[in-house]
Amino acid sequence: MESNAMTSYKDTTPAARLDKQTLNKMVWRSCQLQAAFNYERMQSAGWLWAILPGLEKIHTNKDDLAASMTHNMDFLNTHPFFVTFVMGIVLSMEQQKTDIQTIRSVRISTAAPLGGIGDALFWYTLIPITAGLTANMAIDGSIMGPILYFVIAFGVEMVLRYALMYWSYNLGLTAVKMMTANAKAFTHAASVLGVFVVGALISNYGGGTKLGISIANGEGDPIVIQNYLNMILPCLIAFAFTMMCYVLIKKKNWTPVKCIALFLVIGIVGAAFGIWAGGYTPLVPVPWTVI
Amino acid sequence: MNIVEIVLLAIVTFFFAIDQFSLTEIVYRPIIACPIIGAILGDVNTGLVVGGTYELMMVGNMPVGGAQPPNAVLGSVVAMIFAVKAKMDINAALGACMIFATFGQYVVTLTFTIMSGLMAKADKAANEANPKGITAVLNTSMAILGTLFAVIAILAYVGGTAASGALQSLSENASWFMGGLSAAGGMMRFVGFAVLLKIMLSNDLWGWLLAGFATALLFGNVEATASACLILVAFIGVAIALLDFKITSIETKAAQGGVSDGI
Repeated sequence: MESNAMTSYKDTTPAARLDKQTLNKMVWRSCQLQAAFNYERMQSAGWLWAILPGLEKIHTNKDDLAASMTHNMDFLNTHPFFVTFVMGIVLSMEQQKTDIQTIRSVRISTAAPLGGIGDALFWYTLIPITAGLTANMAIDGSIMGPILYFVIAFGVEMVLRYALMYWSYNLGLTAVKMMTANAKAFTHAASVLGVFVVGALISNYGGGTKLGISIANGEGDPIVIQNYLNMILPCLIAFAFTMMCYVLIKKKNWTPVKCIALFLVIGIVGAAFGIWAGGYTPLVPVPWTVI
Repeated sequence: MNIVEIVLLAIVTFFFAIDQFSLTEIVYRPIIACPIIGAILGDVNTGLVVGGTYELMMVGNMPVGGAQPPNAVLGSVVAMIFAVKAKMDINAALGACMIFATFGQYVVTLTFTIMSGLMAKADKAANEANPKGITAVLNTSMAILGTLFAVIAILAYVGGTAASGALQSLSENASWFMGGLSAAGGMMRFVGFAVLLKIMLSNDLWGWLLAGFATALLFGNVEATASACLILVAFIGVAIALLDFKITSIETKAAQGGVSDGI
């Protein structure tokens, strides 16, 4: 993949400012962020689809469009209602033809933290309050309950999507102009932040990969193997697996699909023998309990 | 048995299945979905009651951070079928729908796994600068999810409560497989991280990877900071990046012939 190796665009002349129509189109397209959600890259394909109208306007050179589309297929996970904030920033950088490495780092560093705030704000605050207001209206037989619920929740969602897109796009344009004065230092600083955040993601998202082996211990507490692993290093398995994939992909030229197949085997064979956590019944009877 | 009801039910279930992750992300919520299903089955009022009750049940049980609780879409659809068609008491219907909701969760796990494999198709389309290819990947994913959900909804409509028994035993027999699939699903994100690191991780940045890993562990395991973990990590990251920016700028200037003394 030739374009994969590109670190900067061939045509580095900044593109024209995206018009309102394109920005609005992308606000609506952003609703499909999770339409191709998957365990490997999470929202990446939906993300790329959402910003495509902008990318097509910005990159008139076909090689540049290919390079841009390729790096926008990177792992991405953020809150769906906040995604336009990330889109605005990334589009402003694409428009200024910022170094690809910088865009990558800024994208993941902006997206990941927003995921957490979004959940707290929307699912843990707005939705419980709205549900509290409207659910009893519905139970009492009023059709206004669901209607009000939709108007509040969807209204807030769309206002957020719309406002964040314009705010961050303009913010990004100003910021990127400032940065280009010292592009090399900025690229390096952005990579530091990006790698720091990916390190954080490994432990923040990887905690679910745990051993489920719990050995009965007479009257005492059962022996849980994962607890011993945690004493060595919490999220040890997550870190080891990430490093394994990194080595396989970087040094052994494995494709991501091959790595996924490997994990399918590790996951399913492991569960047949009751190794992974998850509270299921293993296929092979084992002398321990799966927690 | 009413063919018009079945078709309409399949269509709205297909839509809700997609809506739970994209489109509005609001219409699939029980408080809205149940009255709509109620309208199809001819009893909006039961829909309002079941929807309101289910919605309150769900508050605090949100699909957050990749974890998949029993699926609300199939929960709503099946609870409504049981409440209206089998004339079950509302609480009994909500209880009986849970096995279908669990299957909904299995279907989601399955779709997210299949779609991980299909990312190669999206990569290829990206590499060829082919926007239509990306659209096709999105459509495939929505079609898989919607169809599987619609099939389970029809099963519940046709099979009624009798289907629960069959699903229950299937669920028990397949539990190791689904357990394995979700364990594998949890691991697949490491591939995504590795692809990111392949490009981003130059040799001088290893320390920062470890520092980020450690920082998130620290914030994530303190109850007071756990929910704000990633934003706190980003705050620290920004400070480090600003410092790095300063150092690199000074280095660059020095390399270009010494730092100017301003005179």
